[in-house]
Amino acid sequence: MNGDEYILEMRNITKTFGDLVANDGVTLRVKKGSVHALVGENGAGKSTLMNVLACLYKQDYGDIVLNGRHVHFRNSRDAARSGIGMVHQEFMLFKDLTVLENIMYGFEEKTAWIFINKRKTKRKIKEICEKYHFNIPLEAKVNDLPVSMLQQVEIVKVLYKGADIIVLDEPTSVLTPQGVEGLFDAIRFLARSGKTIIFITHKLKEVFAVADTITVLRDGRVTGNVRPEDVNENELARLMVGREVMLQADRSARELGGVFLRAEDVSVRDKDGVLRLKHANFDIREGEIVGIAGVAGSGQQQLVEAIFGLSGVEEGGKITFLGQDITRAEPRERRRMGMGYVPQDRLGVGANALGTVWENSIMGYHISHGFKSKVFLRHKEIDEFTGRVVSQFNVKTPNIYEKLGNLSGGNIQKLIVGRESIQDNRLLIVEDPTRGIDVGAVEFVWAKMLEIASSGRAILLVSHELNEVMQLSDRILVVYNGEIFDGGRYQEKNDREIGLLMLGGGESDAG
Amino acid sequence: MPDNRALDGTIRKFFSPDVGIGIARYILSFAGVLILGSILIMAQGEDPIRAARLIVYGALGNLVAIGNSLRWAMPCMLTGAASIIAMKSGVINLGIEGQMYVGAFTAAVLGWAVRLPPGVHVVVCIAGAGIAGVAWAIVPALMRLFLSVNEYVTTMMMNFIATLFCDYFVVWMIIPSSGITTTTAATPPIASGARLSTLIKGTSCSTGLIIGIAVCLLVCILYKYTIKGYELKQVGENLKFAKTGGVNVKKTFIIIFVLSGFLGGLSGGVEVTGGYYRYVSGFSYTMGWEGIMIANICNNNPIGLIFASIVWGGLKTGAMSMERGTTLNRLTVNLLQMFFVILVSINYEGIFRYFADRMKKRRQARRFLEGENRGGKSACSGM
Repeated sequence: MNGDEYILEMRNITKTFGDLVANDGVTLRVKKGSVHALVGENGAGKSTLMNVLACLYKQDYGDIVLNGRHVHFRNSRDAARSGIGMVHQEFMLFKDLTVLENIMYGFEEKTAWIFINKRKTKRKIKEICEKYHFNIPLEAKVNDLPVSMLQQVEIVKVLYKGADIIVLDEPTSVLTPQGVEGLFDAIRFLARSGKTIIFITHKLKEVFAVADTITVLRDGRVTGNVRPEDVNENELARLMVGREVMLQADRSARELGGVFLRAEDVSVRDKDGVLRLKHANFDIREGEIVGIAGVAGSGQQQLVEAIFGLSGVEEGGKITFLGQDITRAEPRERRRMGMGYVPQDRLGVGANALGTVWENSIMGYHISHGFKSKVFLRHKEIDEFTGRVVSQFNVKTPNIYEKLGNLSGGNIQKLIVGRESIQDNRLLIVEDPTRGIDVGAVEFVWAKMLEIASSGRAILLVSHELNEVMQLSDRILVVYNGEIFDGGRYQEKNDREIGLLMLGGGESDAG
Repeated sequence: MPDNRALDGTIRKFFSPDVGIGIARYILSFAGVLILGSILIMAQGEDPIRAARLIVYGALGNLVAIGNSLRWAMPCMLTGAASIIAMKSGVINLGIEGQMYVGAFTAAVLGWAVRLPPGVHVVVCIAGAGIAGVAWAIVPALMRLFLSVNEYVTTMMMNFIATLFCDYFVVWMIIPSSGITTTTAATPPIASGARLSTLIKGTSCSTGLIIGIAVCLLVCILYKYTIKGYELKQVGENLKFAKTGGVNVKKTFIIIFVLSGFLGGLSGGVEVTGGYYRYVSGFSYTMGWEGIMIANICNNNPIGLIFASIVWGGLKTGAMSMERGTTLNRLTVNLLQMFFVILVSINYEGIFRYFADRMKKRRQARRFLEGENRGGKSACSGM
């Protein structure tokens, strides 16, 4: 094979973290001016590989060849100077600074070496924006811009730093379907203008829409290098997970019972006094799964916090649970009444990494239906309950006295979901229940949630995976900018219609 | 293999998940202190082995020595327990010293000014001391809850207020009113009915030792076997987790301060009723601070605290005997105690992991290169 046509070659990259082999002899060859998709499940080693490229991690061994020459970057700045630009999954922006300040940070044009020449910098950035058709307000504060705009800011930032190879790490996870189209247009245009794009994703549809070449990673190894015209979705999925997967929830019709939870005119302000949830009105009925869809940061978090009692509700709002007014009740009271919560932030909120497996398992249970004694811990009861969580949810742990922090992320997630599901809660609030767990476990968790709903309980599902919400929910609510819109019943609206609502394209009020 | 696992589980259940690392930590730290101590003592022209023998003899040589060692272990247990309760729950109580002073002062005043039947008098004195400690600790707790003032600062500042306040009262109110002339700033002795009985004759080891051990055991039971203790621990280890789990964090927070302050005050009360029999200005010689250090040494384990306190008390008594027998100052022992605290606090686990990881990677790289030199293609599947 002729090596000259590749702008970038990464050869036999191996990177380990303790016992975890994140990349195991990965070789990646990228052609100049192409869109190269790097696909794989969560935890397959995609981001690690790219972080090695950007020199955020140092590989244990393996070489990087850029434009036909071996390179050894000393730090990430060095990598950026050599033309590697990275757009991270989580935006790396200073929220209180303007777009212009964010873009020029670290690479300012200077007068007499020490003074920042803002005018010259701005001119340069404007040229880039015009050349690549980006239309972003340079003087606006980052805080005031929507997410899709921030992504453009990130791309312009790497272009300004002189990137020839632009790495986009799961760029579509924060975007609506419409936003994704816009991003793809930008990617195609950049490729035509001679830039090389490495596009990390685990969504197959996107790969076929935009990629020229595909490299598939699984468990830190390359399982295939293919062209999109040579494979179909199923074949690609098999390369990714090693078997055929059909992610379709198995639903059966359910009778809906009486109203479990009713939110009336619920508004929430955040710490800075900004109104993040505006006059929400909705019901959750017995046996129902209500899904909340929306772009991250649209007010889902405030909604959940209000229902679970973690943040206060504005005057005039009222939350009723099982016929009782719980607007001002503490989480302890709500748990006792039968409300469970699977938080999005696993280690920050959902678990105690320093504690043991059993300590993490009984949290909440010790209050709600709990143990026979209200004063003493009965280890027999604890062992029994923890055993149920561990075995029913297939949590891999040597024993229940193991430190939770030693478990893998997926197992911790299963433990949290298991703990809240087994507690016999009447209403379960679930945020991103399948984040970071493998495909097999996703099917399992979905089935469990449907099972819970059919056993006469109810679920409020908040997920950033639109597919998850659409598959599981009996009724979908869409949050946009703190307001709730009706997303219809199961399969009443398609993903484009819901995507439009997520972007603020709806006018009807809440359901 | 399965047997091994079950055993492993049992060990983890009754000790802590990291029991092996804990043992290694003490052995390494002790070795470090022995080396440092030998150098230190030799530098002053003395024989380290002889000095060590004098320390051990002074601490354990006869019944009187043992009694004195236990007498000094007593305050360590109480202040240590006060510190453990706070630290296990994620609160830093740097105000144990101050709580101890107000406790001691209250006990001394109650013991001197009030007349009560013998048995009851002691109990009233000690309980009063505990309540005074609670009153002193509740101020920082309320400031933290309602004004978001960090308890690091408030508990520490309250120490100075406590010591000076107590001295002020003694010097300007009690000494003039009692009509005695004295050169030390101290209250008159407490009534004999307000004193704890002596446990070992001829020494100052009082029944306060039993109180100390009982407190350690109670703390152990609280954390290991009660639901409240479980909640306290979760609050300390992850506040948000506890909150979403339904623990009433504010209430728990007050409980922590109340318990910790109570034990702090109690330690002062026991010092007065079982040691000095009066309040003496500056009596503690930083005993409150040593509680924090000992809690750190025993890794916040209340049973470990009993043993750590006895060793600490033994060193205190042994150091005096060493001072008598050699030209060395007893501060040498103090210095070594502090060294030990520092060495024990080192994150040996992290250091070990770092080197193990590095070694492993080097080995792998070597193996990989060898494989390549032999001409075999590497494991990856290229294009």
